[in-house]
Amino acid sequence: MMRRRWKKSELSSPRRFTLVLLLLGTAALQVSCGSKPSSAIVIASVSDVSSLDPHLLDSNHPTGSVIWSIFDSLVRRGPDGADLPRLATSWERIDDLTWRFHLRHGVKFQDGSPFTAADVKFSFDRMNKPPFSAVQQLWAQTTLKEVRTVDDGTIELLTARPSVTMLYWLEEAFIAPKGYYSSHDAAYLNTHPVGSGPYKLVEWTPGDHLTLTANRDYFGAAAALKDVVFKVVPDVSARLNGLATGDIDLALELSPDTIGQAKTAHSRPEEVLGLRKVHFGISQNSKLAALRDPRVRRALNYAIDVPTMIKTLMHGSTVPLTSVVNPPNADPTLTPYGYHPDRARQLLAEAGYGQGFDLDIDFSPFWGQDKDTCETVAGYLNAVGIRTKLHADEWNDFRRKLSDQSFDGLFFAGWAALINPSVELVIFTCKQEDNASGYCDPKYDDLVHRASTEYDVGKRKALTDAAQKMVWNDAYWIFLWRASLYAGLSDRIDYQLRPDDYVEIYLAKPRS
Amino acid sequence: MEVLTSLYRSPQTRSGLILLTVVIIVALAAPLLAPFSPVDVDPTARLLPPLSRVATSSTHSGASAPHAESALHLLGTDSVGRDVLSRLIYGSRLSLTVGFLAVLISAVFGSLVGCLSGYWGGWVEALSAWLIDVQLSFPFLLLAIFLLGALGGGTLAVVFVLALGTWVNYARIVRAQVLSIKNQGYVEAAHATGAGTLRVLLVHILPNTLSPICVVASFSMALAILTEAGLSFLGVGLDPSTPSWGTMLNDGRDYLLTAWWIATMPGIAIGLTVLGVTLFGEGLRELLDPRGVR
Amino acid sequence: MYSFAIGKLLRAATVLLGVSFLTFIIGHASGDPVLLMVRGDATAQQKADLRHSLGLDRPVLTQYASYVGNALHGDLGISYRQRIAVGQLIRLRLPNSLELAGAAFTAAIFLGFALGILAALNRDRAVDHAVAGLSILGQVVPGFWLGLMLVLLFAVHWQILPVSGSGGLAHLVLPAATLALPTLGRMARLVRAGMLDVLSSDYIRTARAKGLTERQVLLGHAVKNALLPLVTQAGLEFGDMVGSAFIIETVFAWPGLGRMTVNAVLQRDFLVVQGCVLVTAAGFVVINLTVDLLYAWIDPRVRGR
Repeated sequence: MMRRRWKKSELSSPRRFTLVLLLLGTAALQVSCGSKPSSAIVIASVSDVSSLDPHLLDSNHPTGSVIWSIFDSLVRRGPDGADLPRLATSWERIDDLTWRFHLRHGVKFQDGSPFTAADVKFSFDRMNKPPFSAVQQLWAQTTLKEVRTVDDGTIELLTARPSVTMLYWLEEAFIAPKGYYSSHDAAYLNTHPVGSGPYKLVEWTPGDHLTLTANRDYFGAAAALKDVVFKVVPDVSARLNGLATGDIDLALELSPDTIGQAKTAHSRPEEVLGLRKVHFGISQNSKLAALRDPRVRRALNYAIDVPTMIKTLMHGSTVPLTSVVNPPNADPTLTPYGYHPDRARQLLAEAGYGQGFDLDIDFSPFWGQDKDTCETVAGYLNAVGIRTKLHADEWNDFRRKLSDQSFDGLFFAGWAALINPSVELVIFTCKQEDNASGYCDPKYDDLVHRASTEYDVGKRKALTDAAQKMVWNDAYWIFLWRASLYAGLSDRIDYQLRPDDYVEIYLAKPRS
Repeated sequence: MEVLTSLYRSPQTRSGLILLTVVIIVALAAPLLAPFSPVDVDPTARLLPPLSRVATSSTHSGASAPHAESALHLLGTDSVGRDVLSRLIYGSRLSLTVGFLAVLISAVFGSLVGCLSGYWGGWVEALSAWLIDVQLSFPFLLLAIFLLGALGGGTLAVVFVLALGTWVNYARIVRAQVLSIKNQGYVEAAHATGAGTLRVLLVHILPNTLSPICVVASFSMALAILTEAGLSFLGVGLDPSTPSWGTMLNDGRDYLLTAWWIATMPGIAIGLTVLGVTLFGEGLRELLDPRGVR
Repeated sequence: MYSFAIGKLLRAATVLLGVSFLTFIIGHASGDPVLLMVRGDATAQQKADLRHSLGLDRPVLTQYASYVGNALHGDLGISYRQRIAVGQLIRLRLPNSLELAGAAFTAAIFLGFALGILAALNRDRAVDHAVAGLSILGQVVPGFWLGLMLVLLFAVHWQILPVSGSGGLAHLVLPAATLALPTLGRMARLVRAGMLDVLSSDYIRTARAKGLTERQVLLGHAVKNALLPLVTQAGLEFGDMVGSAFIIETVFAWPGLGRMTVNAVLQRDFLVVQGCVLVTAAGFVVINLTVDLLYAWIDPRVRGR
């Protein structure tokens, strides 16, 4: 009697399975995500675009890459730092405080409206108002005080003080059409961008993907890749697998250890020596007086075998830092500290720390091999008698300590993927907001301020060289290497990666 | 005593006990068993496969590396050249401690709450049920990140957070059991014979709830270790300098295809430990089940 | 039964309120979202201006009150990070999460039941050991490992399933399978244990060879008792599943709520966290209600409180 009962429930198992299939089937009927046209080029990155408003650009990639595609700036930043015409065809400095830009004729925005100087004034003025002013640094950094439209095709920028970095900051100041951007609210503009650039937005599903299509009416050369999708694929293995199956055409943010896997039947690895300076900041606000002694800081640099780390952790894909400033503006007389543990111990003893000391090392694991770098450095420091303690900080905490300048020891960072000495040197000036190490020396400040207002190239170089020497010789950082870029490209496209993380997909071409 | 002998008699429980004992011995005898230091890095020896041999002179980092002409990395090395076997051995200490403490704290606290709320009912039950519902509806990760940030990280904080994540399981199951048992008349009978609350709880309620508790506990152990890996995944876990199986698991994530041993070895270690705990738990449950003469 | 249900419903509402308030307080105490919205070199004044424009410098209780007020009108605020309405973000991701969790949960429960019964009926034979092995494996194997192995096999090697993303049954299979396995294992073991309980009590009764009615009553009683912990566990499993969905979503680039919530927590994007927590809390509350009502139906004695 009981047995029969149980047999009945056994028989109901097939019924259960059919139920499962039915449920799965109904679930499958929801097609939740738009599928890309099969010819679209797919770019896979770790994170999503933060905003499509051109004046909320806060990171090089992916937000910067997308904004650079939908909008134009007056001046384009070449991969080597050169200042190239974009919406401005030429420019001159009329006097120390006035810049004049001649604007391109016949440019139309993607809503059909013509591009004039009024749009430039509108855009720059908008960048000076909250919330954009917290993200855009054009006004604060160049001491810009007025944008003057001379006529429809000419604009003048007046500054309070001479600014050698004007062109640099203009390269991140994107032009939005005045009519469109005055007649919609912020939330709408955030997701419905209209620019003059080589790509138009098709749609953006936040957190998942963003689709662009080439702007046929672009004033310059039309983009060769008609449809482009920026996809969010956080896991590096997923990006590599996508490359292997042909689902992904450009897999970004790989690492030295994983880039080998980008070589498959229809994809190849690409490495580019980058500009981001990987280093450890040395907190000057720490309770630890040792860190304020330049001999200790130099000892920290001597204690670490940077060449071996580059050879092993980085697979030889980068070079040691030779300055706080990227080439070609680096002071050529500066050389890496090199690995000299004995000299390190000697310096520590000289400074009175022969018994070593306890040192905190903070980092926020973001890229795959950050942790490896920090643990290896800790190992080297341990070997010269310093007792290190690693802290993996959550990103918000780390950001807060950066902002408060409240680190207690060393902090691991990668910074300033750019070519412009005045921008690069300003991080150590006393009142600078992102001077996370709390470094302050009036002599240094003087050099940097004079350099940022000195138009004469030769004099400026002498000043920036002198400032670099100070940073280098007093070892304000533990200098590691330049963060290279590791990507995988499919056989469908040809694209030369930029060393500063921006992806100018409008310059990519189909591979023949 | 008879409990122990009957435990030993069941082959299932016996294997579980043996596994557990092995792991505990490894944890206790770590300094004697580990061939290398678990924390000394050696970037020139990174990502070596199992059974790799390295020549050792006095390396820059390790004073504890054996002064032999060559040394064998039985299970290979990780992404900074540390010996996987040694990290596995030392990692057992941290993982076992964290897992065991978390399970213990959550089991005791959860069972207590479940027991009392089931037994007393009334506002005690209503309040604890409400708190349980609130906590269950609360995303654990959010709580974990905030608490770990507030407590400054560290082993004790992680134990506390892990315990917080699982005490509810015990509370609910124990409460359900208590309610069932209560209404089956054993309790009323006990009261009728003049037994006090505590005696009733200990003699009648507790043994009947031990079996589900043990089952849940054996599940929780693996969960605790894996949750620890998940927290490391987010960057808020244990101090990265000290080896733990969860951290090792997470470190090996990007190397599953190229250096599979980094994640697989701690995975196997976790698996064996969980197996031991589970077998032991199952055996215990079968033994303690008052209805079972199987 | 009716007043029981109403009581539970009211309680559910208070739970939601409690969760939302707690999240709000914890969120605001845990960090400053403005830090992640500005460049590193933003001045204190710029940050203060931004904070003011977002209403973040008001007292916390005021902010909460206005949040609740807006929420009751359907406005859940905006994401600080992406300046998109929270409601819209949730509307985009919720169906994906439901799809994934629903498929995984259904598969895990049904397959778990089937396997558990199978194991109980074939106790100590090969099938039983196989199921035990599978279930232990399922609970121990980390999600990211299993996911990656499945992708390597089915997507890269055989190329019969996609690598990642969402969009149809084919995309759902691997992530759902990965998410379902631990639950499947646990449920199978619980079902087996419960089934063994029932079977053994059954044998005791048949041994006494009493009247049929009593057997049926006891059997019904035993089955219902066995079901109680299963129902409880199923409810908890759904919660665990939602919690671990985040890792699966990361590995498979599945556009679900889990990943969005975790990213929002790490970026201190309060209102997104609030919205997601509210939605998932509502889900749990519904599950709890279902569990409680099922309890009451299974075991009428529970109702009388």
